[in-house]
Amino acid sequence: MEPILTFDHVTKRYGNGVCALKDVSLSVRPGEFISIIGPSGSGKSTLLRSINKLISTTEGNIFFDGENVSALRGGRLRKNRSKIGMIFQNYNLVYNLSVLQNVLHGRLGHMSGIRGILGLYPEEDKEKAWTLLEEMGLEKFCYNKAGSLSGGQKQRVGIARAIIQDPKILLCDEPIASLDPSSAKVIMDLLKSTAQKRGIPCLVNLHQVDVAMRYSTRIIGLHAGEIVFDGEPESLSDSVLERIYGTSVTNLVAGTSDEKDWQQAYAV
Amino acid sequence: MQSEKRLYSILFFCIVGLFVASTCFARYNPFEIFFNLENFQAFIVDDFFPPAIPTGLKLKAIFQGILTTICMALSATSVAAVLAFVTALFASKRVSPIQKSPKFVRGFATFLRNIPALVWAFILFSSLGIGTGVGFIALCISSYAFMVRAFAETIDDISQDNLESLQAAGASFIQVVFHGILPSCLRGFISWFLYCIEVNLRSSTVVGMVGGGGIGLVLLSYLKGFKYNMSFTIILAIAVMVLLVDALTNYLRKELDLE
Repeated sequence: MEPILTFDHVTKRYGNGVCALKDVSLSVRPGEFISIIGPSGSGKSTLLRSINKLISTTEGNIFFDGENVSALRGGRLRKNRSKIGMIFQNYNLVYNLSVLQNVLHGRLGHMSGIRGILGLYPEEDKEKAWTLLEEMGLEKFCYNKAGSLSGGQKQRVGIARAIIQDPKILLCDEPIASLDPSSAKVIMDLLKSTAQKRGIPCLVNLHQVDVAMRYSTRIIGLHAGEIVFDGEPESLSDSVLERIYGTSVTNLVAGTSDEKDWQQAYAV
Repeated sequence: MQSEKRLYSILFFCIVGLFVASTCFARYNPFEIFFNLENFQAFIVDDFFPPAIPTGLKLKAIFQGILTTICMALSATSVAAVLAFVTALFASKRVSPIQKSPKFVRGFATFLRNIPALVWAFILFSSLGIGTGVGFIALCISSYAFMVRAFAETIDDISQDNLESLQAAGASFIQVVFHGILPSCLRGFISWFLYCIEVNLRSSTVVGMVGGGGIGLVLLSYLKGFKYNMSFTIILAIAVMVLLVDALTNYLRKELDLE
């Protein structure tokens, strides 16, 4: 299958001299569920945000859906962004608005003029939002303020908002980093099932290696802005993990690929 | 502890020194009020007391004056708030679509803000003539400048997060303003708006005295005509007006849960 997203030797240097991405090349095909792991500051967030140009890159090209993202501006950039769903660590909802309104925000990219400003969404969008909230198990909270929900519920609203865009790719920036373990499992299951059902490829930044191992079809390891691993979860060995995190596996909590090793590490 | 004590005593002597120096420089006698206490007391007790009871046309003029003053404050604050909101978008470091605009817009607002409403009134009266309309503009300018700053800070304070998510979904700048900034900042805006109404009500009385019309002008005409009993009544009326509006804004704050 043709890749939907391609990074071609992409480099990002910030004004303060920090090099967040170093000569990154990769491609993503429909149906993939890719986890990006790496220590804080390794460039995971920059990588995701360069895809929808929330951060612009310094060198190289990013091709998404047949267009060169780096060259896009104005209306064409908006159109491109509307095809990319994004889920955030802090949910990034407007807490003073209702759950339904927050979900409908996902449609703003498809609207223009006065209807877009006043939020006069077409009837079919509202119905779609309702069905999605049902799928997320949130139909009871449709008219509640988004701020009154729990963390896990907020993230489910975030997923609904991304899916209603009809995206061609889903970008998830540490979607479970602020959640308790059981909510985290609910969110990861939902992400995987909703994406798979619609055939949307997912790029997920994660801190939890065990979660990445369980859900991904492919794992990308970043270290200091460089891809040091790109392959199937099964081939993620301890030595690779040590290269990604720059420290011995015994120093990583839940960092080992083997459940047994992990238990041993804790027993010691 | 020891050094702190010394700091306080140095500070104390500095303040005393400054007081003496400025008194000598301005050549006034700070104890004058005590020497003239008798006169002062006589002025208050004999001239001002008792407050006169206005009737007929006088009563009507006072009520009309108060109404004009309140209207002037309300309309000036409202118009200024709308203009300030639009300007604040370009004064906020987080949302401004033009990268360099915050510096300039903030500088401009600070410049306007450092000139008090009364000074604006004098400048405008000498160029445009006196009248309620000009008083309105004077109040507008000063509260506009204040609210630009306050609104921009409010916008910067709310997390950038929910703006980022709207941008990521492909929303335009205007859509981000209406669906992200406005709903999340509205409480903050209203709180500053109510504060500005309180400030402008006091200012509009003073601006009225120098030519803006309203209750200030009514008061001035009685003072100039040595009708101190009626002036006292008007001063009391102004105090009641201010207290009532403050009570109203406090009530609104509580109802809107702004505190």
